[in-house]
Amino acid sequence: MNDIIIKLLWTLLGLFIVLNWGMLMGASMRKIVARVAHRRGIPIYQPWLDLIKLYAKRTSISHGVMFYLGPVFRLGGGVGIFLFLPLIYGSEYWSNFSWAGDLVLILYFQFFGMLGMALGAGEGGHPNSVIGITRGLSQFTTVEIPLTLAVISLALQYNTLSITEIVAAQQGGVQNWTLFTNPVATVAGMLSLLGALRHAPFNLVKAPNEVPIGPPTEYHSAFLGVLRTNGAVLHVVEAALFMNLFFGGATNWAEFIIKTFLIYFWSVFVGVVHPRFRIEQSVVWFLKIPLAIGVLAVILYI
Amino acid sequence: MVGPIYIIAIALGLAFLLGFFKKLNANIAQTFMMAGVGAMSFISVQWLFGHLAGMVTETVTYTAGFKPPFSISLQMGAMEAGVTSMINIFGFLGGVYLWRKLKEMGLNAIIIYMVTLMGLNVIVLTRDLFNLFVFLEVSTIGIVGLILLERGVNTISSGFKYLVAGGVISSFMLIGTIMIYKYAGSLYINDIITSNIAATKGGMVALFLLLIAVILELKPFPANGWALDVYESANSGISAFLSAGFATAMLFVLYKLMPMFPIEWQAMVAVVGGITFIGANLLGIRQKNAQRLLGYSSAGQMGLLTAVIGLSSYLNEQFIFILVTILLGHYLAKAGLFWLAGIVKEKEINSWSLLRREPLLVVLFGVFILTLLGMPPFPSFFGKWELIMKLAAGGQTTWILAILIGSFLEAVYLFKWFGYVLKGENEGLPVLQIKPEKIISPVVFATVSVMAGYYAGSLLGETNFAFYIPLMFIAAIGLLEFLPAFVKNTFAIAGMGYLAYTTLPGLFETDLLRFIFMGIFILGGILTLFAGYYYKGKRQGFYPSALIMFAGLAGIIQAETLLQFFFSWELMTIGSYFLIIRGKRSMTHGFSYMLFSLAGAYAILAAFGMVDAQVGNMLSALGGVTSHATLIFALLAIGFMTKTATLGLHIWLPGAHAEAESDVSPMVSAILLKAGVFGLLLTFFGMGAESAGNSSILYVLGWLGAITALVGNLAASFQEDAKRLLAYSSIGQLGYILFAYAMATQLGWIGGFLYVINHFAFKAILFLTIGAVVLRVKTHNMYEMGGLIKRMPLAFIAALIGIIALSGVPPLSGFAGKWFFYNAVILKGWYFQGAVVFFAGVIAFLYSYRILQTVFLGQLKDEHRHVKEIPLTFLIPIYILVIGIMIFSMYTHWVLEPITQYLTAYFPSDPVHWDGAAATTSLGYWNGTWVMYIIGIMFVLILGWLLWLNAKATKVKQFNMVFSGERPFTPETTHMAHNMYAGYNKALGFITAPGITTFWNKVAEFVTDAAGFIRRIYTGNGQTYAFHIVAYIVIIYFMIF
Repeated sequence: MNDIIIKLLWTLLGLFIVLNWGMLMGASMRKIVARVAHRRGIPIYQPWLDLIKLYAKRTSISHGVMFYLGPVFRLGGGVGIFLFLPLIYGSEYWSNFSWAGDLVLILYFQFFGMLGMALGAGEGGHPNSVIGITRGLSQFTTVEIPLTLAVISLALQYNTLSITEIVAAQQGGVQNWTLFTNPVATVAGMLSLLGALRHAPFNLVKAPNEVPIGPPTEYHSAFLGVLRTNGAVLHVVEAALFMNLFFGGATNWAEFIIKTFLIYFWSVFVGVVHPRFRIEQSVVWFLKIPLAIGVLAVILYI
Repeated sequence: MVGPIYIIAIALGLAFLLGFFKKLNANIAQTFMMAGVGAMSFISVQWLFGHLAGMVTETVTYTAGFKPPFSISLQMGAMEAGVTSMINIFGFLGGVYLWRKLKEMGLNAIIIYMVTLMGLNVIVLTRDLFNLFVFLEVSTIGIVGLILLERGVNTISSGFKYLVAGGVISSFMLIGTIMIYKYAGSLYINDIITSNIAATKGGMVALFLLLIAVILELKPFPANGWALDVYESANSGISAFLSAGFATAMLFVLYKLMPMFPIEWQAMVAVVGGITFIGANLLGIRQKNAQRLLGYSSAGQMGLLTAVIGLSSYLNEQFIFILVTILLGHYLAKAGLFWLAGIVKEKEINSWSLLRREPLLVVLFGVFILTLLGMPPFPSFFGKWELIMKLAAGGQTTWILAILIGSFLEAVYLFKWFGYVLKGENEGLPVLQIKPEKIISPVVFATVSVMAGYYAGSLLGETNFAFYIPLMFIAAIGLLEFLPAFVKNTFAIAGMGYLAYTTLPGLFETDLLRFIFMGIFILGGILTLFAGYYYKGKRQGFYPSALIMFAGLAGIIQAETLLQFFFSWELMTIGSYFLIIRGKRSMTHGFSYMLFSLAGAYAILAAFGMVDAQVGNMLSALGGVTSHATLIFALLAIGFMTKTATLGLHIWLPGAHAEAESDVSPMVSAILLKAGVFGLLLTFFGMGAESAGNSSILYVLGWLGAITALVGNLAASFQEDAKRLLAYSSIGQLGYILFAYAMATQLGWIGGFLYVINHFAFKAILFLTIGAVVLRVKTHNMYEMGGLIKRMPLAFIAALIGIIALSGVPPLSGFAGKWFFYNAVILKGWYFQGAVVFFAGVIAFLYSYRILQTVFLGQLKDEHRHVKEIPLTFLIPIYILVIGIMIFSMYTHWVLEPITQYLTAYFPSDPVHWDGAAATTSLGYWNGTWVMYIIGIMFVLILGWLLWLNAKATKVKQFNMVFSGERPFTPETTHMAHNMYAGYNKALGFITAPGITTFWNKVAEFVTDAAGFIRRIYTGNGQTYAFHIVAYIVIIYFMIF
């Protein structure tokens, strides 16, 4: 019994770290983007203020049960990936519940939050939410293709679908990272990441000047707080997933923080220098060069 | 035994006597006639039974005390007894049918009727060639007389043409007969056979003229325009006489005379028959006039029978069986259909929807159409089966192909017609008047057809009594049609329950594969039938159809021999056709379903023929096939893929599933499609993937499955009709299943089984739920729905669970499928196919979201503000399935572990290891139960947290929302539903362009155009027809010599 409680406490601690790191990372990215645009940007503690404000709001309205459950699904999606993802290589406690399922579980668990949130937002009854969702789902179909091919390539390379084993195989120096042992798959994966993190040019889903923030339009107060919480967690764990797959994983928190920051920065970096795609453009874009690279990544390992 | 001579004596005597009593009361005259025909029938039938019981032997009666060749002799063998029984019984029932008409036409008509009938009897019985000629003339003139007595303009002209053509033919026959007499010195058929006159050139010509005359009397294509005109314009009773009586007798003449002709001519006879079978049926496609259509069909059937006679050397001991069963099928069906034509009195086949006003007529029509086509359980089914088996044994692939093509063309027009009857518009058509004497005969013939089917089946020794128990149960339900639906429903469910009780425990012990499929069929059947309690009234026709389908489904599971399997397969097809076509706008969909199914069934039949020729008729012997294994494998795969609606063969599915009734959609989607999967599995299990040929076919099937999944899912995403969306989704899901099984690895197959079970459960849930919603909101269009979660929360929850299971999101069972797929794909090395499948899987989210969002979420329409929750009768089966899915998701290993063990017998490498709920492969691991626990606990914690923060949230209506400072107008304009994935459609919509539908339409167009073009040879001009006959003779002559 003690074991389980200790395990849970460690997991909660991990979640706490990831959440705060996510907010800090988000804030710094926003600051970077602002500086690029010659603005001062937000204070670095802004996300915490936002979160406290949202959770403390006294007025809140609900459109129904599914509306209520939407944010729960969404945060469940983010936290779920966190739970099934080994964070720090070599640490029993920081590998969370990754023994319950492998990479495939995580790939499909991404949809848990997406689908639930989509349904919740749908019950909100706002057409802009639905427009945003249809765009998000559409875009996501092709975003997944290069990643799928990259994953197949990795599975062939390492002969496993276990994330822990993939990380293990990359230990012993930078030269063992997938980045260097399988650069083609890494490129495919990183291109896919651009779509998954939805920065420009793939940010039509939430396009503020078209469909005011898209899916969460009707969400506010604690609902929005939960969604923001998820945003912070999800960005870190997605970056951590790519870190594990392509960049040798992390053996301690410092390495974890640096690597996830750089991986996340990659999408911000691309975002600030590119205009936004229309949805049919982004859908097709992933079916061109990223798809070709993904195919190449598999061919190299047949 | 009363001697056969009395048949003639009675007919002739009565005909003369009636002539004396010109003033006799017509009723008395007719009663005499009927008594006479009855006596004739009795004589033939007693001989028939005598022969069947083995009490009598072949008997020859000599007339006038001389022996042949100095007298005419009548032979009464088993065949003669059978054929004269057919003719006389027809004469009797035809007389009943024509009772009023004959009275109207007067005493002369009665006399002619008797004489014609007598002529036909003599044609069959006589062993004297000249005698044959004379009585052929007598019957021809008799028929023409009956035609002419009708006194319509068309009938007179067609009767005249018939006379001209008949004259030309009989002159050739006469010349032939005279020449034969010159060379053989005898007209006694037995003498001619032994005299071998074919050795001389003149004798050869003589025989040719005789043969060609007989063949021409059988109306070979294309020299048969004269006969078609008669079929079209004569009184339906007379046409029936021509088709069932005259043609039967003529066919027997050909059979009787065949030994006279050189053995090499058999091939020519077969070819002539084959061309007629295909040609006549091809032209039938364009035909809209019912009686003319039957004329084409009649010519076609005679062609088939001619071919059978020509092919007799391949058919060996089964020749007579094949000939008799097919002939019987033709005889019963054609007579019945012509008789019905007289009741309907509408010329155009699309006016036959009239029939629907009287259910009995529809049943009769169905029996006759199915009899004609050789569908189970009717006699010609067994005949055609044996024919194909024997041809396959003789290596006659071309002939198998020809016969199947002809049968298919025949099915095209017959089922088009059937579609009109079942679904055509019948508003504004005249009232149907059924006179009692007109209905008796068709009823008798339909009954005989059913009984003959049983008898034929038992003669083959394959379909025993047990096989007919379900059919008898269905017949009993059919007789209870007058009862309200819920009573019949209870009986049906009880029947299914009994089936489950008797079969499932045994199967569980012996064969897991069959157990799973049987479980799906029975459980699915009971649950979907339960939803049927919703329907009020009698629900006519539903229960027999549904039960026929389920009997077929159960039959394919239990079948041990190829014949049993095929029998059940066809039975299932028929039942499901009737179910599908019940939908409001299902006429065309039912039609295309039937055509694809039949084409598939014929592919299976051809394959079975080749199997039977090599390893015998046991289903389990499939693996022993050595030659043509790849071809057989491919044919079976194609045949079964018409049922799984694989891309290319799928175009029937969306309409058929979408337009079907609310409880039929899940039956034909969640359950019926699995029959195709079962068939594929039998093939894959039975024949294996080891050989190079099979594995390359499997490779193609793998790609086909992947692309089917992609296109099906993509097309589903672009649908506006909720049921069509689900239908396309089925195509996609069946694509996954095909892909999984095509991998032919243990992991692939585990994934396949998982998909089979999963698809059954969630598709039943979704189709039942959406079907019930459609019943409430009265539309299929999703953009006309919206916000229904408020009105039907239970329906929403069920649909949500179904969709989660479908989409493969953890923790529900769909994810297990994805997990096995990833492992299987990588271990098999099918990376790119796999990538396509995973891409398809993500696209599934588009339609999954679409159906939930546009139906249940978003804005509630004004007109739906008071709509009720879906009916309880639907909710109960739906929630049973929901609970089933939850358990299956939680404890997937309860099902998958035994399957893994079962498959170990086929794949000894055992790549998956089970430890409780934890599955491990060489690549990855997954613990379904723990994933469920972790996600569940996490979900509850987050929900609790949000509730704690936000418990007092004010509930507001959907319309109360932030709208950029404006107020939204109406729910209709605020519900984002129509053309939902516009951007995606712009990007990838081209993939779903209906190229395959266009392709099949072009094929159909080409065939009908060809038929329309060839049809022009029938100008309606008597001279042209006479020319056809002469040209035909010349061409055949040059082909032979």
